[in-house]
Amino acid sequence: MIPSDHFVRFYNEVFKFLEDQGEEHLRNYWLEISRHQELHCLELFKTKGLKGMVEYWTHIKDEENCDMTIHEFADHVEFEMNKCPSLSKVLDNDATPMERYCDHCAGWCMPLIKKTGFFPVFDIVSRKEPRCKFMVFKDREDAEKAEKKAVLPAK
Amino acid sequence: MRYRDTGNVHLDFHGAVNTTVNYIVKNFGIEALHEIFFRTGRDVYKSIRENLSRGDYSELVEHWAYYFDREKGKYRIIREKDRVILHVDECPAVRQVKRLGLDLSPHFCDQTEHVNRGMCHNTGFEMETVKTGECSCIQTLRRTKHDTK
Repeated sequence: MIPSDHFVRFYNEVFKFLEDQGEEHLRNYWLEISRHQELHCLELFKTKGLKGMVEYWTHIKDEENCDMTIHEFADHVEFEMNKCPSLSKVLDNDATPMERYCDHCAGWCMPLIKKTGFFPVFDIVSRKEPRCKFMVFKDREDAEKAEKKAVLPAK
Repeated sequence: MRYRDTGNVHLDFHGAVNTTVNYIVKNFGIEALHEIFFRTGRDVYKSIRENLSRGDYSELVEHWAYYFDREKGKYRIIREKDRVILHVDECPAVRQVKRLGLDLSPHFCDQTEHVNRGMCHNTGFEMETVKTGECSCIQTLRRTKHDTK
């Protein structure tokens, strides 16, 4: 058994393997994970909207021991990751970290959020530091404005 | 022990492993899956592997106990003169995949065999993994037959 605590280090090995096969394989895998995550999130996000997202990531913050601040606004929500446990573990690892490890988060979150009619913006900030900011907007124009201000927007 | 996680445990990651196993087998074949698990065992668990190379299996045994306790698995570790046996009576990974209502991949438990193979690579030890049920297995660590250490 790979302990669930070590899943992200296995994930990192999967990413390295897929990156060697080609960019499209990496993207397709993240979409597969996105479909898997629908099991946990899709209905909640569709029925409760931004409140549902806050509910889900509050649960994740607790269960994955995240140092994260959640800012709720009427028109959007911001998840400010102060210390990401996922990248922290991948960096604290005897195996080599995948250079673009952080991209997987946007890779699964953004397609799922878009399916619920909201507009996600992911600011990776830095791929070497375990911090980032994920924002979800009700309005497309607000999302586009926020993306322009992002230090390192995920695509 | 090289890794010693504390705090809460996010068991749903086992569901993501199940999805990943199916995805890799479908798109790249079983050998690719085994290679990824092997690399995980060899590289992520470098410290366990290096200790095994020195004839010291204590970190591996500590790793088993620590993480099966954290995930509330049912297991027994039996030390005999020439081998150490891990009896997994209820695997928390399989249990969680079933709790999530997912179909357990027929290759889900390959992770154990091939991560173990990676941990033991060129160490003078080998690990035999035998499934005894959907949620149980026996893992036996012993020196390889030709090992002279």
